[in-house]
Amino acid sequence: MEYLLHVGVMLCLYAILAASFNLLIGFAGLFALSQAAFYALGAYAAAIVTTQLGLPFPLPLIIAVVFTALMSALIALPALRVSGHYLVVISIAMQIIVLQVILNWKSLTGGTDGISGVPAYDLFGLKLDTPELFLPAAAIGALACLWFAFRLTRSPFGRALRAMRENEAAAQAVGKNVLYMKVTVFAISAGMAAVAGVLFARYFTYVGVDSFTIDETIYILAMVILGGAGNLWGSVVGAALLVIAPELLKFLPLPVDIADKMRLIAYGVVLMGVLLFRPQGLMPEPRGRKAMFVPVDAEREESDAETLFKGDKGTKGETVMEGRNLRKQFGGITAVDDFSIELKRGVITGLLGPNGAGKTTAFNLLTGFLRPTSGEIVLRGSPIGNAKPHELVGKGVARSFQDLRLFTRMTVIENVIVALPDQTGDRVLPLFLRPGKVKAEERANAARAMEILRFVELEAKAHDTAEDLSYAEEKLLVVARLLATGAEVLLFDEPMSGLDRNTLQEVFPVIRRLAENGKTICIIEHNLDVIKELCDVVWFLDEGHAMATGTPDELMNDPELAQRYFK
Amino acid sequence: MDLLLQLFVNGVINGSHYALLGIGFGLIFATTRIVHFAYGPIFTFAAYIAWWLSGAMGLPIWLGLLGAVAAAVTIGLLSYLALYRPLELNRAPPLVPLIASLGLYIVLENLTGVIFGSGVRVVDVDYGIFFVGPVFFTSIHVWQVGSFVILGLGLAAFLRYSRYGKAILAMTDDPDMARVIGIDTFRITLLVFAIGSLVSAVPATLILVKNGASTHMGFAAVFMGFVAVIVGGVGSLRGAAAGGFVVGLVESLGLWKIPTEWQASIAFIVLYLVIMLKPEGLFSMARR
Repeated sequence: MEYLLHVGVMLCLYAILAASFNLLIGFAGLFALSQAAFYALGAYAAAIVTTQLGLPFPLPLIIAVVFTALMSALIALPALRVSGHYLVVISIAMQIIVLQVILNWKSLTGGTDGISGVPAYDLFGLKLDTPELFLPAAAIGALACLWFAFRLTRSPFGRALRAMRENEAAAQAVGKNVLYMKVTVFAISAGMAAVAGVLFARYFTYVGVDSFTIDETIYILAMVILGGAGNLWGSVVGAALLVIAPELLKFLPLPVDIADKMRLIAYGVVLMGVLLFRPQGLMPEPRGRKAMFVPVDAEREESDAETLFKGDKGTKGETVMEGRNLRKQFGGITAVDDFSIELKRGVITGLLGPNGAGKTTAFNLLTGFLRPTSGEIVLRGSPIGNAKPHELVGKGVARSFQDLRLFTRMTVIENVIVALPDQTGDRVLPLFLRPGKVKAEERANAARAMEILRFVELEAKAHDTAEDLSYAEEKLLVVARLLATGAEVLLFDEPMSGLDRNTLQEVFPVIRRLAENGKTICIIEHNLDVIKELCDVVWFLDEGHAMATGTPDELMNDPELAQRYFK
Repeated sequence: MDLLLQLFVNGVINGSHYALLGIGFGLIFATTRIVHFAYGPIFTFAAYIAWWLSGAMGLPIWLGLLGAVAAAVTIGLLSYLALYRPLELNRAPPLVPLIASLGLYIVLENLTGVIFGSGVRVVDVDYGIFFVGPVFFTSIHVWQVGSFVILGLGLAAFLRYSRYGKAILAMTDDPDMARVIGIDTFRITLLVFAIGSLVSAVPATLILVKNGASTHMGFAAVFMGFVAVIVGGVGSLRGAAAGGFVVGLVESLGLWKIPTEWQASIAFIVLYLVIMLKPEGLFSMARR
């Protein structure tokens, strides 16, 4: 019986660890293999604070969580500048350094001996020193962590995390502050792992480095992958299966160290098997209507989405955004050279030019994705300086991408909602302090998103996954997502390419109407017919320069351009 | 001054070891973009096979080395065919093979322990001890450096002059383009896994002779290989080799001022600095 209760305690610890790791890899897409190090920091912090300072509950818990979260943010801040394989290797290095420091700082951590004699929890004189008595404490810890994780992921913040996972640049382009999100989710994930660490220290009354090696990280990883990345219930199930199943091995007559190795082999086999045969895990990420946090009837409510389609009040033809003498060099190559452009309210400006002319680089400069080597960009009369892409979205400048960059494993309506401006729930503190406001906004945003989808005629597909759309529908979703930002200056990178004549005729009026409503629009386009039909002004770029500017007719009748490009 | 000289020589010796691991791991990584963590336990398994043949059965060490190479190549090929290949055919996103390789890592490492038992395994090989001025080294050290020179030059010649070598380089540059011009990327991938695994068996056998084999040593092997690749610059084998030497030298020379117990951390500090300051790697300009 006591043995079963012990398994129950372990299940609680690993449910916390798996959920915390899932936040990082499943939701945020940050593949950092250092979870066991944060588990260790929490355990050691609690052990040191209780044995050396003798602080009473709940101080050790609070200190351990805050300390680990801060440490993780400190370590993560530089590490998060890199991604993909670099993040993997640097996080493993972090894991190793943390353990080395613990091993070598003998006066504080006991080195290889570890720290024993951590006091068990004391509930009014009742020592929680048996599995039976400790299980409720562990369960409370696990429930609290899971509640927190659910609240965090089923929210605008959680949705933005998944958007960042799908495409970081696109998340920036809809106004999300990815650095804030990364550091925050890293700190929260580490803090949760620290809770498990504190429980570990209190339960075993001992901590030693052997419990927190890289194998432990892989073990937790197997739980997350088995259960399903991006599904918190999955992490609980994954933890349960991988905690309970190996216990069955104990009924086989194997020597202890062989049995232990067989257990680890089993984890590895599970990890590979899941990835080969069911990569989404036992419980896949919720999709379709289940992805929504508010009842779907909210989508039918009245909305003020029309205001998003309108530009700022002001005279038509007034210059809103201006690039002055922009120059961008990559190593020895000058992609854009002495390029000046004016974008005016209510005017559709076209950027035309052969491949490699610097059109997309110009876009990247105007939207803060690249810094100009020299020259300046002026928005409504003031220079934008070093504003980052998401800050520029806040100031009313948004762009789309030539290669679409939809949030493919999210639903159509989620793609739109995530782009809506001024979401209180994008930040973690208000998310927990003002739940009512967040909820009300969420209902309103569902309705607004639905109205935007009606505008581009995608409402029937609202709950489909973006990756299942046809190409033309994807293009429409790109427009919808850009509209949802409510930005005044909209820069479209080849919104029409690959669309057939009929679809074009559907998109044209959408863009024209935006200009009539006072938006400032700039389009990169190859198709001369599109330029002729849509644009009021065209800038012709080649070799990074603006070769000519004028109305489409003027440009196409220019004998030199005609000979060189239009044939 | 004498100490510094000795540390420098030690750095070159360890650097050769890391450089070989960097080349082997880096060849697979650069060509297939697979982070093959199981490279570590394959290294370990090869060392244990060499021990089994030369230590337990008493065969000469060169036969042990041959057995180690055969074992490493076999497991290397199997891991691609049974694990990475199906994932590629499933069009799994890039991080999935990496996670799967961690699964394979943990399976192979513990399987080695189950088959051979835990605990350090050693072989008795007579080796010479040399003093050149104040500097001390053994014939095993000479072999470590020599094996790097032989394998490094051999591989460089193979890549530059043979048809298959050129195909590997083409695939490293651009796998899709390589396919378009008619290179059989499946066969090239198998070849790369075979060569990469072969390379791992040599330092594995030498480490067995030098320090003995233990089941957990694969982690350091694959990780140092990975570090060498990142420090040197992804996609360049010359970079991976140079990265290995940089790490080996910094790690060794660092002991001049830094206590021994921190030695293992020095490499990671180098890694950290490179990723922060020059993420494209120190030698990325000097392609190959």
